[in-house]
Amino acid sequence: MKMKSSKLLTRKDLMKTFWRSFTMEWAWNYERQMNLGYSYAMIPALRKIYKGQKGKMVSALKRHLEFFNVTPWLSTFPLGISIAMEEQNELNPDFDPESINNIKVALMGPLSGLGDSFFWGTLRVIATGIGTSLALQGNILGPILFLLIFNIPAILARYYGLYLGYNIGASFIEKVQKTGLMDRLSYGASVLGLGVVGAMVATMVTLNMPLKLGTGKGAASVQSIADGIVPGILPLLFTLFVFWLDKKGVKAQWILLLIAAIGIFGAWTGILG
Amino acid sequence: MSPIITAILLALTAMLANGEYFLGSSMLSRPLVTCTIAGIIMGNVHAGIVMGATLELAFIGSFSIGASIPPEIISGSILGTAFAIGAGKSTAVALTLGIPIASLVLIIKNLCFIFILPFFVHKADQYAAEGDDKGVGRMNLLGGFFSVNLPIGLIVGISYVLGSPMIKAFLGIIPKFVINGLGIATGLLPAYGFALLLKLMINKRNVVFFVLGFALAVYLKVPVTGVAIFGGCLALILTGYAAFKAHGEPTAATAGPAPERNSTNSSDKNGGIDYEDEEF
Repeated sequence: MKMKSSKLLTRKDLMKTFWRSFTMEWAWNYERQMNLGYSYAMIPALRKIYKGQKGKMVSALKRHLEFFNVTPWLSTFPLGISIAMEEQNELNPDFDPESINNIKVALMGPLSGLGDSFFWGTLRVIATGIGTSLALQGNILGPILFLLIFNIPAILARYYGLYLGYNIGASFIEKVQKTGLMDRLSYGASVLGLGVVGAMVATMVTLNMPLKLGTGKGAASVQSIADGIVPGILPLLFTLFVFWLDKKGVKAQWILLLIAAIGIFGAWTGILG
Repeated sequence: MSPIITAILLALTAMLANGEYFLGSSMLSRPLVTCTIAGIIMGNVHAGIVMGATLELAFIGSFSIGASIPPEIISGSILGTAFAIGAGKSTAVALTLGIPIASLVLIIKNLCFIFILPFFVHKADQYAAEGDDKGVGRMNLLGGFFSVNLPIGLIVGISYVLGSPMIKAFLGIIPKFVINGLGIATGLLPAYGFALLLKLMINKRNVVFFVLGFALAVYLKVPVTGVAIFGGCLALILTGYAAFKAHGEPTAATAGPAPERNSTNSSDKNGGIDYEDEEF
């Protein structure tokens, strides 16, 4: 992608930031989350922009060691904006350096909202759906396709995000928020993701009730009765039950334990099979 | 292969999996990947792949959004697979062992987060104050390695050596119906993952698409990939092709069949995402 012309930086400098952004979650910490990864990715550009000005370099490094967190595959977008703004800070004496972190902070929420629903809720779910359906048959393409389907778009987003952020800079954010574009993209991602989750609940949650009701010729298994109402309704109800437990605030460990207990109890009594 | 060499290979697998966070958060830590590699090391690729798929579904809801730390799936899936294949047992056993291991190792991982990593974070502040950018960068690289990557490798390697004979003896005394029951549980566990995904995404405006995806799968037997294609088209249409307007062309929020917002003002204030609306 084309880079806007710059007095201080070259394409090579931005590419260093691109590669360094891959380590965004490497030293993720409770205190300031992605701060080490973010400053690590900023360093090549900062070094070039503030060459020989130790005072400015110190405050820039401190600035980017502040708290930061965003969906990692979109981290290059705020990085691009930060680099463009640091450059402005050096070239324009009236520039307020505080605005650099203000923009970063303003971006975290909306960008993560969009990124989490797209990357975690949509792209990963599709990659997992396709990968696991092959892998369940023991096909080695399962894990391979899983990685490709997820990572190709993720790396493209990382690449274009950097240039988009750098070229358009901070003004873009204001525009996007005013038009509600971010909200619409996020909604679109949830439409796609939820559809896939619905299909996965239908095909990947397995619940069989071979228990017969009635005697002799009239006997029918609970399974066939339930499937007569809506096919796959038992897995669906079970998923909603777990959803409800989770909403009630039941801890993850207890839910997992309960599911294991239901399985063992079901096998022991013959209700489930 | 001697158990020590196997243990070292499994430990390296764990470090590669955690290396995901050095390599662009590239999903290397997911069971689909780690169990496959563990299967290759244990000499049963087929079993490794199938266990990977099962554990992947069980852990589909375990991922780190914001500040939440999910169970430590790397150790759980690698050790679960290695023990199950080593003892000649089924996928259900891999999952049965994997889940408690993941929960236990999470405690150790959190200890590392609390006691080791902050040292690097604060050391980076010192370097920044001295204007030493190389030092700051080094803290990023070393911090991740010593606080998380190396400990996970050590835990997996040591647990394999110590645990292997114990696990074999333990599996010998478990009654048959328990193993069968855990097999049933492997079919139920994905429900938990899907419940967590629903919590993340669902609200009044989009619940209908969950129902639609479900109905397409059960009545029309559309596979997951097909549903993804339908869903993608639908998403583009419903958002008025917003994804193609990302380059800053003005898109009027009211144009197109976009869903009504509860309150345009409140969504503008917190940056376009109305988090209150996310609760269903």
